[in-house]
Amino acid sequence: MKLRLATLLLSVLVGSILAAPAETKPASAALNALKPSSVVRVNATSQPYDFLRPWSKHSPAQRRAVGAVLPGSRVLTTAEQVANATYLELEKPDSGEKTPASIEVVDYECNLALLKPSQPEFLKPFQPLQLIEPNLGDGLAIWQLENNGTVLPTRALLTTVETGSYPFSNGFLLYRLSSSLQPRDSGFTSPVVKNGALAGMLLRFDSRSQTADVIPAPVIRHFLKAADSKAGYTGFPQAGISTSSLRDPQLRRYAGLTNGTGGIYITRVHPGGPAEKAGVAVGDVLASIAGQAVDQDGNYVHPRYGKISIAHLLSCEQFHGDTIPLTLLRQGKEIPCKITLRHDDPTQWIIPPFVIDTAPRYYILGGLVFQELSRQFLKEWGAEWMLKAPERFLYYDRYQDELFQNDPRQRIVILSNILPSPCTVGYEELSYLVIPSINGVALHSLADIESALANPVDGFHRIQVQGHPGEIIIDATQAAALEPALLRNYDIPALKRL
Amino acid sequence: MRSPALHCCARLLLAAIFFLPVCARAISITEVRKSLVRITTTAQEPNYRVPWSPGRVSGGTGAGFIIEGNRILTNAHVVSNARFLSVERENDPKHYIAKVQHIGHDCDLAVLTVEDASFFQGTVALSFTNQLPPIESSVAVYGYPIGGNRLSVTTGVVSRIGFQQYAHSGADSHLAIQTNAAINPGNSGGPVLQDGKVIGVAFQGFNGEVAQNVGYMIPVSVVHRFLQDIADGHYDRYMDLSLSTFPLSNPAQRKALGLPDDGTGVLVGSVTSGGACDGVLKVGDVILAIENHPVQSDGFVELDGERVEMTEIVERKFKGENATLRILRDKKPLEVTVCFGEAWPFQIQSRQYEATPRYILFGGLLFQPISRDFLQASPVDSLRVRFLYNFFLTDEFYKERPDLIVLSGVLPDPVNTYVSGLRGQLVDEINGVKIQTLRQMAGILAQPAQQYVIKMLGEGRPIVMERAAVEAARERIKARYNVRNEQNLSEQLP
Repeated sequence: MKLRLATLLLSVLVGSILAAPAETKPASAALNALKPSSVVRVNATSQPYDFLRPWSKHSPAQRRAVGAVLPGSRVLTTAEQVANATYLELEKPDSGEKTPASIEVVDYECNLALLKPSQPEFLKPFQPLQLIEPNLGDGLAIWQLENNGTVLPTRALLTTVETGSYPFSNGFLLYRLSSSLQPRDSGFTSPVVKNGALAGMLLRFDSRSQTADVIPAPVIRHFLKAADSKAGYTGFPQAGISTSSLRDPQLRRYAGLTNGTGGIYITRVHPGGPAEKAGVAVGDVLASIAGQAVDQDGNYVHPRYGKISIAHLLSCEQFHGDTIPLTLLRQGKEIPCKITLRHDDPTQWIIPPFVIDTAPRYYILGGLVFQELSRQFLKEWGAEWMLKAPERFLYYDRYQDELFQNDPRQRIVILSNILPSPCTVGYEELSYLVIPSINGVALHSLADIESALANPVDGFHRIQVQGHPGEIIIDATQAAALEPALLRNYDIPALKRL
Repeated sequence: MRSPALHCCARLLLAAIFFLPVCARAISITEVRKSLVRITTTAQEPNYRVPWSPGRVSGGTGAGFIIEGNRILTNAHVVSNARFLSVERENDPKHYIAKVQHIGHDCDLAVLTVEDASFFQGTVALSFTNQLPPIESSVAVYGYPIGGNRLSVTTGVVSRIGFQQYAHSGADSHLAIQTNAAINPGNSGGPVLQDGKVIGVAFQGFNGEVAQNVGYMIPVSVVHRFLQDIADGHYDRYMDLSLSTFPLSNPAQRKALGLPDDGTGVLVGSVTSGGACDGVLKVGDVILAIENHPVQSDGFVELDGERVEMTEIVERKFKGENATLRILRDKKPLEVTVCFGEAWPFQIQSRQYEATPRYILFGGLLFQPISRDFLQASPVDSLRVRFLYNFFLTDEFYKERPDLIVLSGVLPDPVNTYVSGLRGQLVDEINGVKIQTLRQMAGILAQPAQQYVIKMLGEGRPIVMERAAVEAARERIKARYNVRNEQNLSEQLP
């Protein structure tokens, strides 16, 4: 049964690979005499919220990119480009004709977004791009646009396929290209093509090493398939494990392995995650996934790309809800099990890794500004946020898995800022404190704050502070009376957003 | 007073210690010459990166002066880690061999003795004032600072009196007197005089790029406390309330706590468990008076006609003494007594002197407890280490782990060739036993076992070291890397 499933899956995989390069043309044709008939300019105006002043937004910024026209009158670009977009438009490269666009599906983890024009016929004259999976060593072309609308193709060589870091996540597959690209103003992304078919979307380019990282066709294929799912879009699944290399012979013997060289050591099983439900335990050795042998570094042999990380096999090659067989070795004993992979929604983490397109919650009480801790908040400290943001918050964010495992909170409520007012005299130097409860009511998220403030104690709001100074106190009547003055003095549109 | 959370950024303000690392000669220029001493130190600094190596030998000079009882008073930092000390008097070419009798690193003071009694012939012991000098009164600083070889005098006025961080330990703050008289490298340990009496010991200042004409002296109150502490032959260090206070200037907070609007009282913001106030004071208590000195809402008291931090009263206490506090708890007045037992034991945030680095070398894996000295020598790029170190006291990590033991290095050898990537991680358990101290860890590693499974903090893989492999590697590693001892569990110098 297990075996059959694995075979079936493999054949589907092979099938899709074979199906892709249907219409191939010589590589030179891809580079010469191109008509801009498969790409459009995507112009985004982005305006993220200012998490240090959550009632306002940063100044708007323009983000231009070259999007790939796909079948079904849709345009593919990166999620990063359209993050926090206030206005999106598509522009025909040759005529400059524009139309407003909207986001159909966006996934910040795999960094892809599907846009559709407000007028469906806008994309009619275009020839949609098909997907193609290139091989290592293939010559590809990065399609940028010149100002006059002509396509500027740049040769690129596919040198490496491996998993790496994406803007908002980790462990997705990347194509690494070697290319002497001269970036045009189409900054955020450009299609990467082979034989006139879409092989990937440019993620970043390092001009010093002349390497380009590209979101590869397998990730795009998964994204598009999930986007077309009738049940609605679900993100890429995870197994919910952390692993470590098993090269060390002493560690191998400790794990009960007496022979062989493969398998990877499981160092953590995420509580409530798919692996835990499948019966996986810390100290187990993961020997195979869906019939594919796992080596001592956590790689398997991909039929096209060779050795790549099992992160790709577990996440990109499967879909949310898929069940696949695993082989575990527990003290050398083979334990077969089945795992149902699920998407782990990062917006549900106690300290979310990103808050995009969503207005941050806040509540202002007499000048004390309460917010929910998120990595987005920490990133307001700029490029060096990992060194400069409040250290306690950085620590909580980085180690949230181990620190808040059994915590009843959905979010960490913090005192993020103080707008000096008659209420806050003497509190000016307090900030970046964790607030577990107010008036004895535990704050599981900022949504609880109104009910907590509903019952002041003897006319005072008693705000519990984690650590020094233990508690701060606000006069409830005074705070209520100060509201108009706070709105006026600090020009704040509203004292809360919950 | 200990600074509860000393962050790395505090270094911005760190004053430079003025200990001149050059050789010079001097002759007398004032009456004070009969009391002044020039101290030449040969010191050996421990090497926290290679903890089994004896460390680099360096030297320097500083000043000192003769006090009653045929003793020399100077700064601790002038004679720290000394292996050889020689002293010279004005107008006497002879070098005399001196010894450190007592040294207080938390107050940066030391007392030296000279074996050859003839040294003190014809010298005059300086005497101290009993009070803090008034602001704006003139002072004269004596010493052997940079810029020449002879005795130098500079004058100025008392600019300010207040709590300052003492740079020598990096984690202690006491009262200090600021003066605009030039205090430069080499002035350290020299007397500051007013009307022929000592009002302080010059000890630190700011680098010229930071500030001008800001020099500091240790006031007589700190000197007296030191001399009194060592009178029984042992230095017990400063006592500490081990709590943090929060000023009570918010009207609503005052009202809710039941305080009148009279500008008195500070809130107890945190009480360090295991400290002097543990079990006596609680978070939320209001301190109204200490030893009958009313505490103002910003934490100041009036003492000898000066407004000083409340902690100054505790600063003058000795081991075994008490302090009476008037407090308000749940709106009810209460009188409590705080007893000062032992000085605070966890000093990882203070620089250590006269100490040898502690470590364990096991199968080429170097384990060291985290301390200020260790981190300065081998910065660890780990948020976990940074956080546990900086919040060691405030978050009371010492309760669970008095030593935070880090895998600080790997001496490559076949026995550990797959472990090198785990450098910078902290030890959690060995063979299922939670590791709390380096000594306990050494005990567990000395117990016979087939293998030692060292679990690190966090979700990483364990380190598995098989006993037989470690034994086989022992002499090989020691010879290859010139390791003299595989462990040092005590900071005490041999």
